[in-house]
Amino acid sequence: MTPRPPARHRPARPGLWVVLAGGLLLGTAPTGPALARPDSLFHQSRPAMGTTFEVYLFAPDRAAAGTLFEAAAAEVERIEATLSTYRPTSELSRINARAAREPVTTDPEVWSLLERAFDLSRRSDGAFDLSVGRLMKAWGFFRSEGRFPSDAELAALPVGWQHVRLDSSARTVAFDRPGLELDPGGIGKGYALDRVAALLRSLGVQRALLGLGGSSFYAIGTPPDEPGWKVRIPDPFDRERTLSTVLLRDASLSTSGSYEKFVVLGGVRYGHIIDPRTRRPVPDRLQVTVIAPRAETSDALSTALFVLGPAEGAALLDATADAQALFVEGPPAAPRIVPLRWNATPLPASPRPGAGS
Amino acid sequence: MMNRRSFVKTVSGGLAGASLAGLAPLGTARAVPPSDQIRVGVIGVGSRGKWVMRQMLRVPGVRIGALCDVYEPRFAEGREITGEATPVYTDYRAMLDAEARTLDAVLVASPLYVHDEHVIAALDSGLHVYGEKSMAYSLEGCNAILRAVERSGRRFQIGHQYRYAPWTQEAIRRIRAGEIGEVTHVFGYWHRNNNWRRPVPDPNDPALERLINWRMYLDYSRGLLAELGSHHIDIANWAFNELPVAALGTGSLLYYDDGREVYDNVQVTFEYPSGRRMLFSSLLGNHHVGYQIWIYGTGGSIQITLQDATLYQEPWRENSAVPADLPREGVTTTATLGAQGDMPYRGPGYRLEVEDRSADEVAIEAFFTALRNDERPVADERVGWGSAIPVAFGHQAIRAHTRIDFGEHVRAANLEAIYGDA
Repeated sequence: MTPRPPARHRPARPGLWVVLAGGLLLGTAPTGPALARPDSLFHQSRPAMGTTFEVYLFAPDRAAAGTLFEAAAAEVERIEATLSTYRPTSELSRINARAAREPVTTDPEVWSLLERAFDLSRRSDGAFDLSVGRLMKAWGFFRSEGRFPSDAELAALPVGWQHVRLDSSARTVAFDRPGLELDPGGIGKGYALDRVAALLRSLGVQRALLGLGGSSFYAIGTPPDEPGWKVRIPDPFDRERTLSTVLLRDASLSTSGSYEKFVVLGGVRYGHIIDPRTRRPVPDRLQVTVIAPRAETSDALSTALFVLGPAEGAALLDATADAQALFVEGPPAAPRIVPLRWNATPLPASPRPGAGS
Repeated sequence: MMNRRSFVKTVSGGLAGASLAGLAPLGTARAVPPSDQIRVGVIGVGSRGKWVMRQMLRVPGVRIGALCDVYEPRFAEGREITGEATPVYTDYRAMLDAEARTLDAVLVASPLYVHDEHVIAALDSGLHVYGEKSMAYSLEGCNAILRAVERSGRRFQIGHQYRYAPWTQEAIRRIRAGEIGEVTHVFGYWHRNNNWRRPVPDPNDPALERLINWRMYLDYSRGLLAELGSHHIDIANWAFNELPVAALGTGSLLYYDDGREVYDNVQVTFEYPSGRRMLFSSLLGNHHVGYQIWIYGTGGSIQITLQDATLYQEPWRENSAVPADLPREGVTTTATLGAQGDMPYRGPGYRLEVEDRSADEVAIEAFFTALRNDERPVADERVGWGSAIPVAFGHQAIRAHTRIDFGEHVRAANLEAIYGDA
């Protein structure tokens, strides 16, 4: 039997227009004949992972889009229920609670995500490190109380990727420092986007843009008759100004920045991204944007490169296939724009990177 | 249109309905030595099957040894979860024939209408079973599973993981201790605001639509009551310590007249022998109340959600402690008429403090502990029967918009033993 067309839930008429990524106008097409009707753009956003999960996708009708939105949201919810340390029953919370007492067996998905994350810790010499849970809490305390944690307090924190033992034969995770806590912040959102993208592709979706909180995007295909999904990278000091416009296609983009959450103490600007090696916020770096084939890579690499900076980070970027990065370096009074391998996509917007600001 | 039988044939490779007598290796349950690996075969690698597989792989020593699904794209998805080239089968009989000797247990997470076929075949192959809810589509299927567990000597655990949830266990402990007085009613809700559909890769393939969206079609599904109501019924049975004997039901297709056969909103009242009542409502057009179970007693109420439980005392009980100085201080008059007595209570409750563990984590770990210790699972086949039968008859009541008495079947099953521990 053929399902009847939905009696309700037709797309609004005329189309609802949305402005996406600074200027690209897209809209839901008015309803027309069922045959040969082009897919229309639908959008849904929901709270997820402490921010907003956004999906833009082309689908034949609102009912089909709604079913895809539900499937996408269920997958993000699954990842959040697995990784979130804000949820005491998540798998990562279970590992944090037990892994200092005994090796904890976990499922292959979680184990291999941790393996990839700690592989990046090795390759970045600790600039990327999921074991910073306690460090993040210590500095969060500092923000609410208006003081630095003391050197002694920071030095005593159980932090450091060398203290996390992964055993591939038993598929276990163990900590050799009591109190150590994993924090999925540098990789969880990117991983979730990759999983949703794989799910939507398996369901036949050919054109979609996925986002989590504006800091990570993944593009499936392109909008019709467009070379890519347009993502605008703003000047961190003047959000109306565009540093670069990326046309994203079957690739991801992530931005790490310190311009929204920061303090200035003793003339030094401290953002909320902490260098696990010094246990202190990274000074004088404003924004790093990374493009990579997978969102897990762009998410983690943007964090690692924010810590490392362009000079130290160039080798890590070179070792990552098809990745490119755009740095905005401080101090705020004289910012510098530093592109690294930033040439794979057209940069039509002005000013171009390197033009200063 | 494919009828139930022909679809079963497709699913089971043409062997549906074949007698399984004589295949059953008789004997007592075989405990799995604690040091040994437990190997699990999976029948049904859909969304719930995949979720449970992941949870099983977090238990030390558990390995997924085989995967079976009639929809072949599930094979790659299942192998991604196991992280290895797990053997795959499209015919569950072939899987059991080839793998029964290497497996210890089977996870049955197939569509409801084939639960009994898959569970019984696994038991009769000498394997323990973790079976998803609702236990079986029909009265006959549920009864056949009870008999199969008995004759096989193998263990069966039903996927009523909230029996194991620390907050549900604590709620029942408080109820047994009399903290909400005499328990009189359970009101259960599972309200959502979505179309309850799964995406179909090729929407123009009606067979694929029925395979993936089997919940929408009456030959395979008992609708919202089965898929979203059986946990609520199970917890009501536990709180009341008895099984329902009649159902008064109704429902309609109100928002999603999109080709589905099941209703998009249902309401059922279950009657228990003591005269107590359980009300269940599920609808797809409003999310406000979400998933909630309210257990009402003469002295208080307990709200159970998917992750916690909260106890509320009846207001007059808190007020019953009269201030000692009132005779000396007196009372004050005002012009305000108090309507508060019939206003809903809007204050906080007392959240039951329990260990932070998810229901699935505890339930699935408990399944393997039961196998290793050769113990009957807490949520065994009798617990599964106790909610599957009200689901089956409640569904009939909903479709007929009437009251159905199924007390004779409940009495004939003689399961009072598990409900006599008050």
